[in-house]
Amino acid sequence: MFDLKRYSEAELESGKFTKLWHGPQHPGITGNMSLELTLSGDDVVECKTHVGYLHRGFEKLMERRTYIQNFPVVCRIAVPEPTFNEYMYAAAVEELAGIEVPERAEWLRCLNLEMMRLASFLMWLGGACGSFGMSTVYQWTVTHRDYMLDLFEEMTGARIYHMYISPGGVRAPLPDGFSERALSVMNGIEKLLYEIERVALNNHIFKMRSQDLGIIDPEMVDPYGIVGPNARACGFKRDVRKDAPYLVYDQLDFEVITADKSDAYTRTLVRYQEMHQCISLIRQMLEQMPTKGSFHADLPNVLHWKIPAGQTYVKSECTRGEYGYFLVSDGSEYLRRVTIRGPSYTHAIAVMEKLVVGVNIADVAGLMVSLHTYPPEIER
Amino acid sequence: MGYAGLQLVNTMFMQELCERMTRQFDCDQVMHQKDDLSFLRVDRDRLESALMYLKTHEGFVHLSFVTVIDYIEDGFFRLNYMLYNYDKATNIGVQVDITRENPSMHSIHHLWAQGWTYQRELKEMYGIDFPGSPRVDEEFVLEGWDGIPPMLREFDTAKFCEDRFAKRDGRESQDIKQTMRDNLYPERGES
Amino acid sequence: MKLKDLTSPFYVWQRAFEKPYTQSKPTLNREGAHAYRGFHINDIEKCVGCGTCEEICMNNAIDMVEIAAKDSKKGDSGLVPRFDYGRCCWCALCVDICTTGSLRMSNEYTWAADDPDSFRFTPGVDETSWQDSEHGYRRHPEYDLLKLVRPEMEMLSPDEGLKSFDEVVAGYTHEQAVVEADRCIECEICVATCPANMDIPGYIRAVREENFEEGLRLLYDTNPFSATCGRICTHRCEDDCTISTFGKPLAIRWLKRYIVDQVPAERFAEILNDEITENGHHVSIVGAGPGGMSAAYYLRKKGYGVTVYEAGASGGGMLRYGVPSYRLPDDQLDKDIDYIVSLGVEVKYNTKIGHDIEFQQLMDKSDAIFIATGMDQPSSMRIKGEDHPRVLSGLTVLNDVASHKDPGVGKNVAVIGGGNVAMDAARVCRRLGADVTVLYRRRIVDMPADKDEIKEALEENCNFVLQAIPVLIEDAESSDQVTIQWGEAEMIAEDGKRPRPVLQEDRMHTDTYDSIISAIGQSGDFSFLPQEISDQLKQHWGKFEVDQRQRTAVGKIFIGGDIANDVADAISAIADGKNAAIGIDAFVSS
Repeated sequence: MFDLKRYSEAELESGKFTKLWHGPQHPGITGNMSLELTLSGDDVVECKTHVGYLHRGFEKLMERRTYIQNFPVVCRIAVPEPTFNEYMYAAAVEELAGIEVPERAEWLRCLNLEMMRLASFLMWLGGACGSFGMSTVYQWTVTHRDYMLDLFEEMTGARIYHMYISPGGVRAPLPDGFSERALSVMNGIEKLLYEIERVALNNHIFKMRSQDLGIIDPEMVDPYGIVGPNARACGFKRDVRKDAPYLVYDQLDFEVITADKSDAYTRTLVRYQEMHQCISLIRQMLEQMPTKGSFHADLPNVLHWKIPAGQTYVKSECTRGEYGYFLVSDGSEYLRRVTIRGPSYTHAIAVMEKLVVGVNIADVAGLMVSLHTYPPEIER
Repeated sequence: MGYAGLQLVNTMFMQELCERMTRQFDCDQVMHQKDDLSFLRVDRDRLESALMYLKTHEGFVHLSFVTVIDYIEDGFFRLNYMLYNYDKATNIGVQVDITRENPSMHSIHHLWAQGWTYQRELKEMYGIDFPGSPRVDEEFVLEGWDGIPPMLREFDTAKFCEDRFAKRDGRESQDIKQTMRDNLYPERGES
Repeated sequence: MKLKDLTSPFYVWQRAFEKPYTQSKPTLNREGAHAYRGFHINDIEKCVGCGTCEEICMNNAIDMVEIAAKDSKKGDSGLVPRFDYGRCCWCALCVDICTTGSLRMSNEYTWAADDPDSFRFTPGVDETSWQDSEHGYRRHPEYDLLKLVRPEMEMLSPDEGLKSFDEVVAGYTHEQAVVEADRCIECEICVATCPANMDIPGYIRAVREENFEEGLRLLYDTNPFSATCGRICTHRCEDDCTISTFGKPLAIRWLKRYIVDQVPAERFAEILNDEITENGHHVSIVGAGPGGMSAAYYLRKKGYGVTVYEAGASGGGMLRYGVPSYRLPDDQLDKDIDYIVSLGVEVKYNTKIGHDIEFQQLMDKSDAIFIATGMDQPSSMRIKGEDHPRVLSGLTVLNDVASHKDPGVGKNVAVIGGGNVAMDAARVCRRLGADVTVLYRRRIVDMPADKDEIKEALEENCNFVLQAIPVLIEDAESSDQVTIQWGEAEMIAEDGKRPRPVLQEDRMHTDTYDSIISAIGQSGDFSFLPQEISDQLKQHWGKFEVDQRQRTAVGKIFIGGDIANDVADAISAIADGKNAAIGIDAFVSS
């Protein structure tokens, strides 16, 4: 690595380069982080990412709370996708404590996760279109995401931070008539997706701007640890839901969606197809889900719950790829260490810093969104 | 082959792998947590070659994360490198214990392109040095922090808040036992 | 470039003819979902102020506060939760863990106010528009964070139990004890209910953490009769256990027993480490029952020389003579008493005050006197013929059995009364091979005996005849038998008072038994007190009047146990003993 600081100072004085801070508040970024861009004319020659605007020290907070008290904490790690934190935390605790989760709870959890993926994708799709100047689509998707939030509100008692998947199971079964309402929201979203396909994905301007933007070379995938749709878009058939099925994914019918060139446009297409996949999975689950039986395992007294010493790593496929919790227990009432592994850790820093070189300043936001990064999971 | 069948094959693969690793790198501890997750403990100076071997010869191409566990009572940090093999669908956690005093570890940034980010975070949050790792001394999350690395076990978050933030007035809770004692049996019992 | 890519986006114009997503202003109030986690509601009638909500709150958003509308009472601290909405995250763990179900949530979610302090509020006390809301989150009935089920205690079957005087209750196994101790939520509500105010959550925690030495130390802080109380305590604490709202109360008594059972008697001295520094003062104690021996223990620990005068041949009082060995084996009682004696307490057995030694002598040689003689005189039934030779007193029967004598009750026995003595007498007679009929004036729910005792008596086939009032006892045809005439009673409640049994003279019965055992109550015998002292001591309904530390109107005399408190059980006597020790210490050192 060259000494960027000295280099930039010298060159800035020469008047050839501009230094521009992109963020921390910017509509092209889901959450707060900033890119320190060095520009030559309109083009980026060097980029450094800066995080820290969202740091709340979750991993440390969790070391000071009992196992049950952590369950309302974890969802706050990622606003657009809280449920994955709830599930991963619960799964890790259950594994170390040796708790069997009832089958019905697994279905409810899986439904909740898949709904979460869809809601998160909707928000992302709006952002992806918005960052290329199509803010109409953003308004459509956010509205339909709100219909999803209505469903969450009904199912879990809250719109954003559901606190629904607790260690041992889930806190409540589905309310009466939920399936019908969920299906009608799904139909609405499906219709919307076809509209978006016409308005955005088949839009010449959108294509011009996003095609060939930020190409991820397949050679990059393993060294950079690229996962999820970003890796699938360049042909890697990798999906935790298939590779190491959790919950009830092995009972559902779906294929891993791949494409052959990971540029911003293809990545959007892959995610677009995954949204259809989410809808299909939600429909399958609503149909096959057991409607009777226990939805919560018997726990020891949670007020002084001690978990045998041990360590484990559990993971799931969130919208951005492999999302995991590494949990270490030392046998006391408090966990020893938790590490939350989010895909944005590499996507938003190492990958972004590489891909952004040579990109026009106007496309930086589009590129960032096309990597689907969530800063909160970087600085847990 | 169904998922269960695949799992059985993978379990055998993991067991054989751990045996190979133990022979080759003197792993002093092997722990099979579940079918697709095992932990290995290697010596500080053999970590790099162990990771290199796993990556190039055993298909563990994906680095999930690097983290550290602080065992303050016993005076050491346990670094954990979580690797993943996509073909066998198995995770392996390679662990290294390093001393807590002037902690330092060999950098792995040349093995994985995102390795330096983890090392930069660990430097900031735990004070573990990784000589040679790019930008390892730059601030990562914190800005203008002058205290001890905040993820260390000895960093007391409650005290930090008490020192830094004003306490809200009117927040007083009564002790159940003491209240009942004062109201119901003030002159009985303990003296 | 495809032509379609240029035309397709104009599809968006179609939207111009559709209903907009947005709502026109002013927007309607949108109601939260049925189970929305909105603002809190607390039913303060139901709330017992256990503070479990405060305990589980991960944001530290809950304070327990006193309110004007509610006072502390046994089983209810009188405190209620106050929420700081500056910290609350509406996770509803407080609702999930609420022991009484008083706390829940409404589906209301909008609240605007000028004053930020108004967001610190006490639901159920401060007026809110949502207090009566029917909607909102509440714990699903099939989901519970509290542990409601108690491990099954192993007991001798009734048939097996009747064959001997062996202890009926086996005691918990290790696993059972730990599981049971895990259920405790440490709310500490029970501490006020326990007459001795034992640190119940503390010793339960010791069981959970398997630290029996610490457990034993906690027990002896307030109760030197732990082996005994772990078996026969009236466990009032369990009645007020907050878990009992939805489940079985903690088996506090069995857990106490479990601790003492884990520690061999030889290790008591080493663990309790009661170091005694003599202070040169001397106290005399009358009666070696639980009250007297408890006072002796705590006085001795403070360095007093202690002499206990006991009329019987061994210590324990009613615990030895009144409680049969299938409930309290002699060796367990001895374990407790032996430890107290081992600290250097002098016990003079077979020494009756007023007969072997005069009370005045004690007055002269002691710095203080503690009297805990108990009530060992059976009360009269006040009916004709009760002095019939085949009418025995319950206490005499129990006493005989405890002293390994045959009370000679015969094969067919009637027991009169509904207290513990009646139940014990009935069960002892069953073990002696007799058929037993229990006659009681009121209903089963009115019986003062422990529920366990009633249940076990029924299981052991004691025949209960309820609402039966004895009227007359006469000679039977055979001189070995006796006849009782009794009438049925109706329970009649007058102006809201407790229902009272009223004899129905048209429904009389006459039965013949080998013996009739009268067990309707006891009273004390105070003839050993010199008249001038007796005159100074005030009595009320047969109980001596004492202050909180058991002190009487006569400076150096302290009285405790059944003759001073209304509860008249072992644990109250033990508490009196400890309080007397504290009172005596304060009196002597002043």
